[in-house]
Amino acid sequence: MAVILETNSLSKKYGSIQALKQLSVQVEQGSIYGLLGPNGSGKTTTLGMALDVIKPTSGSFNWFGQPVSRSTKRRIGALLETPNFYPYLTAQRNLEVAAEIKGAPAGQIARVLQLVGLEQRKNSGFKGFSLGMKQRLALASAMLNDPEVLVLDEPTNGLDPEGIAEVREIILRIAAEGKTIILASHLLDEVEKVCTHVAVLQRGVLKAEGPVGAILSAKDSIVISAADQQKASLVLAQLPFVASYQSEKENMVLTLQDGYTSADVNQAMFAAGVVLTQLVVRRKSLEAQFLEIIKKPS
Amino acid sequence: MNLLRIELKKIVPYYTFWIILAVYAALLILVMMAASNISINGGQLGTQIYQFPKLWQLLTYIASFFNLLLGILIIVLVTDGYSYRTLRQQVIDGMSRTELVLAKFYVILGIGAAATIFLLLVGLYFGFRHSTDTSMNAILGQIDHLSYFFVQAVGYMTLAMLFGFLVKRSGMAIIIFILYAQVLEPILQFWLNDAIDQYLPIKAFKSLTPMPGQELLDQMTTPTGLLQPAWATLPALCYIGLFLLLAYYSLKLRDL
Repeated sequence: MAVILETNSLSKKYGSIQALKQLSVQVEQGSIYGLLGPNGSGKTTTLGMALDVIKPTSGSFNWFGQPVSRSTKRRIGALLETPNFYPYLTAQRNLEVAAEIKGAPAGQIARVLQLVGLEQRKNSGFKGFSLGMKQRLALASAMLNDPEVLVLDEPTNGLDPEGIAEVREIILRIAAEGKTIILASHLLDEVEKVCTHVAVLQRGVLKAEGPVGAILSAKDSIVISAADQQKASLVLAQLPFVASYQSEKENMVLTLQDGYTSADVNQAMFAAGVVLTQLVVRRKSLEAQFLEIIKKPS
Repeated sequence: MNLLRIELKKIVPYYTFWIILAVYAALLILVMMAASNISINGGQLGTQIYQFPKLWQLLTYIASFFNLLLGILIIVLVTDGYSYRTLRQQVIDGMSRTELVLAKFYVILGIGAAATIFLLLVGLYFGFRHSTDTSMNAILGQIDHLSYFFVQAVGYMTLAMLFGFLVKRSGMAIIIFILYAQVLEPILQFWLNDAIDQYLPIKAFKSLTPMPGQELLDQMTTPTGLLQPAWATLPALCYIGLFLLLAYYSLKLRDL
């Protein structure tokens, strides 16, 4: 697979603050690559550098194996942080300016307006748009030159549930056309739903990277309860395949070593003379996994 | 990509742009009319001062005071790019930093040309109303003052553009621009020797449109050490180049 974007030890310092530290990642063609991290973790800084508006302190990056240039930019559609348009111009006029800069034919404007469902509002001024409409116009602008890669920074930030659903639906529709998408988000759920690959950032440091399935599918936990809690915990302490356990109200929550299932717990308990009144497999919440990843010392 | 066409698409529907230009035009005409209606010894001043070909020097001298307004207009256009983050988006979309500066410089050249043509029309109007000699020779005799005015207007606006790119916020940039042109450089001129201060940017720009009768004053008092307009063109053009270069580096070396 061709590499679309590659960063090599990319770093950025703002004064004494290290916004990004030695980031080296590769985005492959056709993937939907999520940059995941809390606010201030360096997502926008990373994209800003890749998009040529923020100067890297050190390190380098390549698009399609080349340094950034007008020809690489014409293969990318991007929205960084906020939808950036002239408030006093109409949607149509704003897109005309963007099309002129991107060298996109003016005929594309109607197509992208339709794609994001703004064709009815094309003659309205940008300043009167709702946040969701602004975000959609930015997506339309990013699509003007029919780019191979879309770079989207928090595309659903600040939107209401309906707006979020609309924007996500547009992203998935675009992805279905086989385009590569690089998406920064602090929403775990969004990355899990939309992305194929993920890089987890915290305070400018890469904490984990890989296919979403591998990174965001930590072990499930098992919840049990028994009539005799004390005896049950004594038995648990002796079971070699129980990685950890803790009490949670009248239940016990345990995680198991690889290769063991709830059946093994049930059998071992019964063999030890403890009858379980409850045995539930609980998928660990995404938030819990995420916190685990970013708490890991790097 | 056609930089001027892109800029025009942004500017033409922009009310603020037209309002500032309208204020510029109205103020200039108002001052010209007011001066022409002053009567001295029963005669209108207009008939004395609006005579071809001397009129062109007076006209460009008066107009030179309104260059600050054109500078403010440019600052608004440049800093809009920061407050709306459109400069950033334009770089993302494929413009280079050189093109960002060039695009604004083309706007400056356009406004400079428009202001010069406007002055030509104003001059012709007042000249034909008041001048006793309206022969071709008289009209065109000192019309080269208009070309000096063009260089001066472009100079002021390029300096304003530089402050816009450096400071990024419109209010602050406008204050610094006016403060430099009206306060800081005059103080500097006061401290420096005439031989040096005639090459300071604002003073060089001002020498392009000297006050009518300056030569007379110079004979009576100590000369002010102003460059001749033709000579002042050279430092003025150098400053324009320098300001463009500095604006480019302020974009190149900083994050957008």
